[in-house]
Amino acid sequence: MKLPDAGGWWAADGPLDEFDLALLDGIREMFQEVDPMPVDLPERIRFSLALRDLEVEVARIAAEGDPRLIAARGAEQSRTVTFDSDSLTIMIRIDSNRDGTARVDGWLAPPQRREIEMKTAAGSLTVLSDEQGRFAFASVPRGTAQLAVRPAEQGPSGSGRSVVTPALIL
Amino acid sequence: MADRRPATVPASQPDRSARIAGLVTAARDGSDDALGQIVTELSPLLWQVARAAGLSSGDAEDVLQTVWMRLLAHLDGIRTSTALTAWLVVTTRREAWRVRAAGRRQLPADQDWLGALPDQGPDSEEQVIIDEQRHTLWAAIGKLSPRCQELLRIIAFVPRPDYQAVAAELGMPVGSVGPTRGRCLAKLRALLAGDAEGSPR
Repeated sequence: MKLPDAGGWWAADGPLDEFDLALLDGIREMFQEVDPMPVDLPERIRFSLALRDLEVEVARIAAEGDPRLIAARGAEQSRTVTFDSDSLTIMIRIDSNRDGTARVDGWLAPPQRREIEMKTAAGSLTVLSDEQGRFAFASVPRGTAQLAVRPAEQGPSGSGRSVVTPALIL
Repeated sequence: MADRRPATVPASQPDRSARIAGLVTAARDGSDDALGQIVTELSPLLWQVARAAGLSSGDAEDVLQTVWMRLLAHLDGIRTSTALTAWLVVTTRREAWRVRAAGRRQLPADQDWLGALPDQGPDSEEQVIIDEQRHTLWAAIGKLSPRCQELLRIIAFVPRPDYQAVAAELGMPVGSVGPTRGRCLAKLRALLAGDAEGSPR
C-alpha cells in the first residue's frame, strides 16, 4: 500500500481506482489480523448444514449461558442453554457422566411429544419427548452436537417443520 | 491523471465467479461438498459483516450458522456468484441487527478492535515503513463515521466482481459506468492525504 500522491483526488463519484483497491486490500488485511473469524467456524457450519432439511426453522440461543464455555470450564457443573424459535422453546441441561460423555436433559415448550434427534460427529441419537415435553439423552459423545426437533404429527399445533439449533460444543 | 479509468477486474476473477456459480448449482443438486466449499469461501466475509454490526463473537457465530441454514431454503432463487454474495451479506447484516436489537446488549467487550493493531515485526527498515503505513491507515479508519467504518470493512472482504452489487445493496451509490469510489473511500483518501501533507517527511 502506498500513501496517496500529494495532488490528492478524492471525489466520491470518481471511478474506483488502483489506490482505492489498495486501500481496501489494506483494510481487509488489518481486520483479518485484529478480528479473524474463528478457524473452526466453517467446519461447525458445514456440520450443521449436513442436515439439509429445507423445511427447517432455525432456533436461536436465547439464554445468557454460552454453550461454548462448557468445554472451557471443564464441564464440572451442569449448564443450561435455551433456544428459541417461532414455534418452540427448547431448554437443555448438560451434565457430565463419569465416562466422559455428556448427559443432556431437555424440555420443550409448549410441552408436546416430538421426535428429537441429537446429531454428533459419531452419528445420530433419537429420542421421543413425553407429554410434558421432557426428553433425555443419557450418553452423548463430547464434541460438536446439534439438536433437531422433528415435525409434529398432523394436528392443529403441528408446524410441519423441523426446528434445528445451531451446532454447539458439548 | 490519464490513468483514471475504472478499476479492471483481475483476470482470475471471472474464473472465480464461474466456479462459485458451479458450486451453487451443485449444492442445489445436493452436493454437501460444494456447499461446504461455498461456506469456506464466504464465511470470512460474513464474519466481518456480523462483527461490523457490533455483535459479540458468540452472537456472530450464531448469526452465521443461522444465515447459512437459511440459505438452503433460498438456493433455488440464486443463480450467480454475485447474487449469492449479495444475499448472504444482506441477510447476515439484517440478522445481526435483529440479534443486537433483541439482546438489548451493550457493545461487547471484544469489540474494542480499534486499539488493537499489532506491529508485524521483525524490525527491518522495510518493516518499520510498512508498519507506519498500516498505523496511518488504521488511524484514518478510526476517524471515519461508524457507518463508513462498517461499510468499508464489509466491502473490503467482498470479492471484487461482486463489489458493485453489494455496495448498491448496502446503500452506497454506484455510478452508471462502473463502481465509484463512494463517500466513505473518498473521505478516507482525504484523511490520508491530509495526514501525508501535514506530517514531516
